[in-house]
Amino acid sequence: MTVTTSSDLSAIISELKRALGDEYVMTEYHQRAIRTASASPFGLHLWQDLLPDVVVMPASTEEVVAVVKAANKYGVPIVPRASGAGLADGAQPMKRGIVVDIKRMCEILEIDDADMTVTVQPGINMQELNKVLRPLNLFFPDDPASYPVNTLGGRIGCSGWSLIGSGYGHLPNLVCSMEVVTPTGEVIRVGEGGGRKIRKSSVGYRIKDLFIGHQGTLGITTEVTLDLAPRPEAELPVFFATRTWEEAHQILYGFNHSGIRSIAGMFAFDEWKVDFLRRDDEAWIPLPEWTKSAVAVCLYGTNEEVEGVKQRVFDIGESAGGVYMGREVSEGDWASRHDRYHLAYHGRNKTKDKIKLMSWSCEDASITWSQLTDVRLEWHQIIADLIDKHPEHFDDWGMFADIGNPFRAWGDYLTEIDIGVNEQEMTPEIWADWIEAKKAIARVSVAHGGSISMAHGGTREGEVDVSCYEELAEGQFELMKRIKRMLDPNNIMNPGKYNLDDAYTEEAQA
Amino acid sequence: MSQQLSSKPFYDEPIEGKQIPLALARDCYAVFACRHKFCREVCPVYIEDRDESHSSYGYHTALLGISEGLGDIAEMHETITNCLECGACETRCPNTIFAGDFYGTSTTTVNLIRKVRRDLVASGTNFAGYDEVLAQVDKYLGYFDGPIEDLTRWADGLDLPFTGETIMFVDYFNAFETTDVPRNAAKILKAAGVDFGILALPGATLGELLDVNLDKFVEMGKYNVEVLTKAGAKRVVIINPHDYVYFTREYTQYIGELPFEVVYITDLLDELVKEGKLDYSGGTGADTKVTYHDPCTLNKMCGVNASPRALISALPGVEFIDVSPVTQWSYCCGKGSASFKVLHPDKAYKIGTTRLEAAADLGVDQLVLACPHCKDQFTDVQARSGVPVEPVHVLSLIATAMGLD
Repeated sequence: MTVTTSSDLSAIISELKRALGDEYVMTEYHQRAIRTASASPFGLHLWQDLLPDVVVMPASTEEVVAVVKAANKYGVPIVPRASGAGLADGAQPMKRGIVVDIKRMCEILEIDDADMTVTVQPGINMQELNKVLRPLNLFFPDDPASYPVNTLGGRIGCSGWSLIGSGYGHLPNLVCSMEVVTPTGEVIRVGEGGGRKIRKSSVGYRIKDLFIGHQGTLGITTEVTLDLAPRPEAELPVFFATRTWEEAHQILYGFNHSGIRSIAGMFAFDEWKVDFLRRDDEAWIPLPEWTKSAVAVCLYGTNEEVEGVKQRVFDIGESAGGVYMGREVSEGDWASRHDRYHLAYHGRNKTKDKIKLMSWSCEDASITWSQLTDVRLEWHQIIADLIDKHPEHFDDWGMFADIGNPFRAWGDYLTEIDIGVNEQEMTPEIWADWIEAKKAIARVSVAHGGSISMAHGGTREGEVDVSCYEELAEGQFELMKRIKRMLDPNNIMNPGKYNLDDAYTEEAQA
Repeated sequence: MSQQLSSKPFYDEPIEGKQIPLALARDCYAVFACRHKFCREVCPVYIEDRDESHSSYGYHTALLGISEGLGDIAEMHETITNCLECGACETRCPNTIFAGDFYGTSTTTVNLIRKVRRDLVASGTNFAGYDEVLAQVDKYLGYFDGPIEDLTRWADGLDLPFTGETIMFVDYFNAFETTDVPRNAAKILKAAGVDFGILALPGATLGELLDVNLDKFVEMGKYNVEVLTKAGAKRVVIINPHDYVYFTREYTQYIGELPFEVVYITDLLDELVKEGKLDYSGGTGADTKVTYHDPCTLNKMCGVNASPRALISALPGVEFIDVSPVTQWSYCCGKGSASFKVLHPDKAYKIGTTRLEAAADLGVDQLVLACPHCKDQFTDVQARSGVPVEPVHVLSLIATAMGLD
């Protein structure tokens, strides 16, 4: 990537306006500022350095190609941006340049109800899509926590995880094929072999997978064909309260080994999380005082499937010490799964006597069941140490463990610790300690045989060094660099992400 | 009656250039810190143009950025016009839903938009389209200067007194642009045996004033409270939901507790139906399939959405296909609650067309309304778009059912 000069910028802005029209090439301060943050804390003191130079809103593949070609011509970076709700900072510009906001590309291009696929542009969100599919008794079963806002482009960019993925698969399992504009402006179609609507092929390399989860470093998806599912006849959420984390952990074990195929989603709350959710949260359903942890499981399927295993679900939960909290609590909690957000007003200082407006940081490692308890305790200790050092700046908002294996409810858990971060009072020194804490959290995941991220990506400051240089140390990161350099010779696409600037050093190119 | 959950006196402190009051910056931060942007997805403007700078997240974040030294409010003079002031974002904001009651910190985007527009005007950087809005304001304020009899010409032949314990408040828009609405309301109330009067000279209730001249809005509000009190009002019946917002949210904020009860016409008529005082035996059966459009001001800002549905459900010959008021957070007729249609007529048309098409998708004949502005806007949109759904005010359906046409 060359260094952008003001004359380059001026020239490329003129070229972009010719290609997209003046209205969709925006240079005003606020247009750039609002597209700087993603959903993770970044410290307001860093904002100025993260502002892009220009924002464009293309409406078609041709316009995306024009932007990419212009960026290569002038050596200006491109950062694809979808909903901006990602937690790995994939959409955050690290080296200024052009933010390509794809939300105008939101058309449904084809619904094939016979073969149960839909082809869409990447800027549509799942809620909008499912409103259209509902009369056909079909749905697109990608169900992330920010379901009402996420767009397909962002879900592809971060290789998203779904709350009901153990029943229906996660985002990577739901993409049949995609049209991608590569970093040099070529338009390619990637899929299972060459079939646009095929779910499984053995032809060729698995190129499609390369373009899922790349955090905008390898191209921009401009069209995607997705796998749909019949809407379930029955949906049965069951919520168990427990007196200890260990009981909750054992309930998960019981379901893991039960062989019940209609479990679509399942998650456990630890005692820090239960305490946090009790903070004045009108969405939280009151639980008995003795509740220290909880497990929620939800079955999706035909009436016969769900009715047939219902009693066994209760037996598994109760035999491990769980107390079924009744239909109202169970349905209410499941219904609020997309709204369980961490409000700024719920932040507290260490002594809990002051409200501190905080934003939400979420670590989301992939951890096997047997390691959950140790990882949990080590993570909480890291945050406790951080809070001891900075009592006004951080807050432990507790943990979830969500089942993560696609199509089957056993194996890996999305292991999430949520941390309140006081961005408004951040200083460079405290930020540096925060980054060290994130590294420590990431190292715990790796040490326990896990992966740093199941849902968001390992690109944020802090964990990115651990993910590239430690988790992917056995040759994977080296191969990533070679692939990046081959597809993006000018380092145009989202430079700086995943430490891929390493691919362009003299040593790497030798 | 609705009320604002959050008092934000720092909104009174003007923004000048790059100077954002600290309390305002903190308030903006609470929206920015959410960053999940549920507000964006229910915004009818965003749904049309997909530009998130026109969302609650966008506005709050832009102002927060100014407080961090990144920009100047003057740069927002165009963006700030892209708000319908419909309240969808406030309603959907997790800060409102989950923390508003407890902390008193509901999100108040509509007031923020109005404040920024006024601050821009005060600082000499008029927002884009300011002159057109001012022309609209001047037109309607001119009615206050007379001829006085023009303001009640809609009531010719109805023989309504200018005093009473119940006063029906008729705003200028209804009095001049949608006269069938006050006439039907008056006929229905009379037929139901309600004793009521009207004002000879009501003051202006213009949402546009909240964008350009708050002092004038408050002055007119004080006048309205005074003349209503003098007319003997113990209960004021409102027939324009925009006025319902002004009386229940703005007047109480800027003037104080009102010396009379304020009731929306659909709530009152619903009570009368339950008391058996609306007689549908003499009317003609409508034989129509309808759905209902929640006015933004009534639904999103005041939470009044049950009574219109109850009224429609009670009408003989009407098949009612309902759409939940929560789904309708993302709907708007396109006119907005103040200046939007004047500022962005093309977007207003698109938003209205999208809503009308959603009604057409239900296979209905008519879209029932409870707001004169919606009626006016959808009539324009329907004529221009040809979408085969007829906009009709609920009072018109009731009057027909009662044989009052």
